[in-house]
Amino acid sequence: MASITSSYNPREIDNTEDMPGRRAPLITGNQTYTSVTDMVCRVAEDPQPRLWWILFGMASLTASMFLMLIGFLIYKGVGIWGNSSPVFWAWPIVNFVFWVGIGHAGTLISAILFLFRQNWRTSINRAAEAMTIFAVICAGIYPGIHVGRAWLAFWLLPYPSLNLWMWPQFRSPLLWDVFAVGTYASTSLVFWYMGMIPDLATYRDRSKTPLRRFIYGLLCLGWTGSSRHWLVYEKAYTLLAALAAPLVLSVHTVVSFDFAVSQLPGWHTTIFPPYFVAGAIFSGFAMVVTLLVPMRAIYKLENLITLRHLDNMNKIILATGSLVGLAYGTEFFMAWYSQNQYESFTFINRAFGPYWWAYWIMVTCNVISPQLFWFKWMRTNVVAMWVVSIFVNIGMWFERFVITVTSLSRDFLPSSWGYYRPTLFDGLMFFGSFGVFMTLFLLFCRYLPTIAISEVKGVMSLSDHASHLEAEVLAELQGKEPKHVGHAH
Amino acid sequence: MSSKYDLETIELPAKWKSLKPIFFAVGLILLAGGAFLSLFARGAEGSTDSAFKFFMHSYLANFMFVMTIALGALFFILIQFVSRAGWSTSIRRIAELIMTTIPFLALMFIPIIAILFANYNAPYEWNVPAEVHSSVVKAKIDIGYLTKEWFSIRAVSYFVLWIAMAFYFFGHSRKQDETGDIEHSLARQKWAGPCIMVFALSVSFAAFDWVMSIDADWFSTIFGVYVFAAGMMAFFATTILISMALQNAGKLQAFVNVEHFHDMGKFMFGFIMFWSYIAFSQLLLYWYGNIPEETFWYQVRLKDGWQYLAYALIPLHFAIPFLGTLSRHVRRHRLGLTFWAAWAIAVHWLDMTFLVMPNAGAPSLVPILGHLLGGLGMLFVFLSFFLVRASNVPLVPMKDPRLPEALTYANPLL
Amino acid sequence: MNNNDHNVKSNKEPRPPKACGWMAEFENEHDLLHAAEKVRDAGYTKTDAFTPFPVHGIDHALGIKPTILPFIVLCAGLTGLCTALLMQWWMNGVDYKYIISGKPFGITPASIPVSFELTILFSAFTSVLGMLALNGLPRFSNPVFTNAKFDRATNDRFFLYVDATDKYYNRESVKELLSSVHANSLDEVMEDSTPSELPRSILLGALLIVLAGLIPAAIVLNMRASFSDLPRWHVFFDMDFQPKKKPQQTTTIFKDGRTMRPQVPGTISRGQLDQQDPFYLGYDPMKVTSIDTEKQIYVSTVDSVANLSALGSVAQPPAGTPAAGAAPVLPFLEKLPIEANEENIKLGKAKYEIYCSACHGYSGYGDGLVSKRAASLAQDTWTPPSSLHLDRIQKQPVGQIFHTISKGQGKMASYASSITPKERWSIVLYVRALQRSRNANIDDVPVDQRGSLTDPVPSQTK
Repeated sequence: MASITSSYNPREIDNTEDMPGRRAPLITGNQTYTSVTDMVCRVAEDPQPRLWWILFGMASLTASMFLMLIGFLIYKGVGIWGNSSPVFWAWPIVNFVFWVGIGHAGTLISAILFLFRQNWRTSINRAAEAMTIFAVICAGIYPGIHVGRAWLAFWLLPYPSLNLWMWPQFRSPLLWDVFAVGTYASTSLVFWYMGMIPDLATYRDRSKTPLRRFIYGLLCLGWTGSSRHWLVYEKAYTLLAALAAPLVLSVHTVVSFDFAVSQLPGWHTTIFPPYFVAGAIFSGFAMVVTLLVPMRAIYKLENLITLRHLDNMNKIILATGSLVGLAYGTEFFMAWYSQNQYESFTFINRAFGPYWWAYWIMVTCNVISPQLFWFKWMRTNVVAMWVVSIFVNIGMWFERFVITVTSLSRDFLPSSWGYYRPTLFDGLMFFGSFGVFMTLFLLFCRYLPTIAISEVKGVMSLSDHASHLEAEVLAELQGKEPKHVGHAH
Repeated sequence: MSSKYDLETIELPAKWKSLKPIFFAVGLILLAGGAFLSLFARGAEGSTDSAFKFFMHSYLANFMFVMTIALGALFFILIQFVSRAGWSTSIRRIAELIMTTIPFLALMFIPIIAILFANYNAPYEWNVPAEVHSSVVKAKIDIGYLTKEWFSIRAVSYFVLWIAMAFYFFGHSRKQDETGDIEHSLARQKWAGPCIMVFALSVSFAAFDWVMSIDADWFSTIFGVYVFAAGMMAFFATTILISMALQNAGKLQAFVNVEHFHDMGKFMFGFIMFWSYIAFSQLLLYWYGNIPEETFWYQVRLKDGWQYLAYALIPLHFAIPFLGTLSRHVRRHRLGLTFWAAWAIAVHWLDMTFLVMPNAGAPSLVPILGHLLGGLGMLFVFLSFFLVRASNVPLVPMKDPRLPEALTYANPLL
Repeated sequence: MNNNDHNVKSNKEPRPPKACGWMAEFENEHDLLHAAEKVRDAGYTKTDAFTPFPVHGIDHALGIKPTILPFIVLCAGLTGLCTALLMQWWMNGVDYKYIISGKPFGITPASIPVSFELTILFSAFTSVLGMLALNGLPRFSNPVFTNAKFDRATNDRFFLYVDATDKYYNRESVKELLSSVHANSLDEVMEDSTPSELPRSILLGALLIVLAGLIPAAIVLNMRASFSDLPRWHVFFDMDFQPKKKPQQTTTIFKDGRTMRPQVPGTISRGQLDQQDPFYLGYDPMKVTSIDTEKQIYVSTVDSVANLSALGSVAQPPAGTPAAGAAPVLPFLEKLPIEANEENIKLGKAKYEIYCSACHGYSGYGDGLVSKRAASLAQDTWTPPSSLHLDRIQKQPVGQIFHTISKGQGKMASYASSITPKERWSIVLYVRALQRSRNANIDDVPVDQRGSLTDPVPSQTK
């Protein structure tokens, strides 16, 4: 069993060529159900490679720094950040939107690609969902600590306050955000957890120690794999997917409302909802590529997370990157077409004003760098795609920076213009959030099933079945000559 | 061997072929009748100027009603090749035929260009700069964007791009009918990606030019997406209805099955939601911002009787069809799906009316009847174009390598 | 929990485990489907298959009915929608209304995002919890776990199970049926003999943890419900004691020692017409700058600044502070800014009689009741109010009289806070009328009415 997994030769296994009429295999190396189980479970069962320990050490140190900085922030106040008139919504909101955007890929892969019957999602959805949840955790920290008195953040919720007898303001987009991100975080969590139940049962049944068996047994809720259970389970999964798909779109839509319901030029534009969603998917997929490229190498999962999966993700990065570019262009055009002096000024100011550098970093990373993915070589070269995905991550952070800071620093009243400068704390806390993210992700790799084992097997079984049926139909169709072919010219 | 994949079933019913001139004639008569009602039967309450304005808006709305369907078909074809989809192969030819009516529809756009060059300010007020009062619109004319020359050049280039893309894809599809060569699929797969980019840009700008500039003061960056979403919903509804009709005429029995209807029903459902999402996003942002330069567009649509249409769109274009097509049982039910597809086409017409007509002024019964007749006429003309296209072409790409996949797949869930 | 988890000794007498049914193991899903169809056709309904992934067609092969979960989820979604709409309507439209950017209360387009999110939230959690409930999960003790072979059901083996409670169940015939379908192996499933209740130590531990978890909540509740004389804790010291100055405090930063800074000369506050409009001032501030400061009269463009300067700012001692008592020469209005009509005269009369007549007297001779009594009591120390009929006052421009009412004069206090500007102008109008009537001659009376003057007015004779 174990011999299958270690033999990986990228030249030999090219399943990226999906010829019409002959679907390329989704996973390579002549896998059986047994070998798939082995390959995935080994990640958690074998001792972790040294690299894991090094990364975990670094990540947890960074995370600890982040937590200490949060403590200092709460003690000292948000004045330690660079937020100041006129840019009060600076890095905290930039980082919030950045992380929430990244948190869109996972549920998109599990829900929307599921609805579109994109079976290649099965190898990557679990890790992507985990990443989603960790990204949303990182995102949620920022508004939490930005409210000033972080220990009163629960005032955001509509609970009956016995002292004040007042309710939150439901006409505020920031409250919609609380509901949207809250719903998204909790729904993604249950979606992720529910998806893991059968795989946790696999972990339980392979456990060598009673403690492991006890913990995984508890986590998988006594799953047996009963067909009666599977039937309800699949229905619930499908319903969750159907619910999560519009939910994913709604979350970044609501985040875009935070900006777009205001009257600030550069924020108040109707393309914001779909454009933010496209940007979120874009950044999310980039982060998935950033994480999965090393992960599949470290854990030798190349046969399950194949080049085809990465190729497909890169195509989505290309598509969403171009959509984002289209939205930038539409905004620029509309600023000119509207002949509205404030709109025109805002966009000229973005590109040529004091933050021109941020704008051009954004355009280069977000619009130009993914265009490299028109070339198949770029889409299937792991190093190249990893570099591009990093560029996209940088570009999407700068997109939020450009939107937030340029519009706020130059609004209607020139006397209140200013130039925003972050402080060291801004930088350290942004860096620190990566520590939290990586710590959680590394722990996930260590203890939980990184690939949806049962779903991969289901797709294996299904594609066997489908190719069988298709061969029958093809035999029946062959020899038929359409009548009108002759006079088609 | 008597196969169920009978070649007889993939050609247009003979009876339908003879319907071409009839549909065309009926369409023209209805259009003419509609024009008469809008222009001449208005009675004492309207001047000829406003009657002409109403008629031109009505023509544009009805033109957009079918044009968006054809554009939906073009997008559908492109996205099938981008995503390497297999399920749609057996219904793809119908979409291809809808898509290739674009050249005919380009002819239907000529009256609008002609009216511009005849220096009328309907439906586009900016066409006569002397009568423009708004300084913003004057500025738009001065920068050279809203001028009849540029407008026409842009319109022609959109049509050239769409026709080029449509016939590139249709041509390969027909060649594959002969040879079965996989290269034709590969070529289309290769170009589908860039074509989508071109499509996105051109449709966005066409929507800005043709529909949004009726109210030249107004602007909304999402407008192109709105028109696109509406067209996609109507396209799926049209394809469902055409496939149903063909099956009722004894065709395509083995090629289009309940799974295809289910999938098209899902897409229709999806685009009902997507349309609502886009329409709501635009409304919410302008309602919330409450800036006069932006809200007046809604104000025009919320007075003089148009408010009934505007409010009716919420249940008719969203709530009712949303609940109606929510269940998989409805989407897999022939009669149910047919009903909702017809519903979708009807509300699409209402939607286009909502976008265009309120700028023509207050409605009254007779011109509205004229507008309705015009809409029906345009639909008949459009169907006759479709029949012209479909007459000598097999209705299924028999040698497409992905056809077996389309014939065997199943919707396990949802 | 299955038998490997804990080896707690049970006090109960061990009894032989009961058989629950038969379980056949298969190599792949095709064999399983084939066998399942056979079992279904034999009439068994209490059957189940255990597979590592959802095998398609197994529901049909086993005769499993579709689930009602979608319907439950739909209901939950509608509940979520209604909850959200009701919540927003009640919280922002009924119970706690407040205006925000002119938006209406209750249900508006702004209610849609939260309604959508709660619809999804309710539906999503119902999907998961409904799935668990319909499947009877979590269930940690299951007879199938007693067989070690079954561990592969989540890996690479497929199991078919016929339960002993089936109404056609017969141990031998089921065994025979399952033997005929090419199973890898066939085993009888035994009841789980391990104790089903949790060990007491675990229960006790859990209870202790729960109790410990309640302690903070109990402390908070106790603190909220009781009073304490102790000073509060200052966790965030710099929030409780902020390094800032309050308005009336002194400072060493500025030379004048004041924390509150005077306005910069020339400041025009937005929305304060009373500092700019002649109607509120009685003079035209725009003309004030033309006054030569050499004349020992310091007047800024804005009255309030003049007052501030008069307070004696240390930082900028005003060189041209007016001599005490000397009224600044201001460009007073010569013309009434209100119309001289009957309505205004009546208003002026009413206000005059309320505010002015007490000292100045009803006729304006300075013989009001207060003045008379004060004079009789205080004799020389009382400064009697001026008669409004003095030549000096008659010659004053209307703006100056207005200014006097507004700012006071000598012992007379300011009436600006009691009388609105329009009322003050009406009083000026009335004073002018008084002055005119008290200093009139026969030429002022229209010719046709002169005859009525021969009879004195009845009230004057009494």
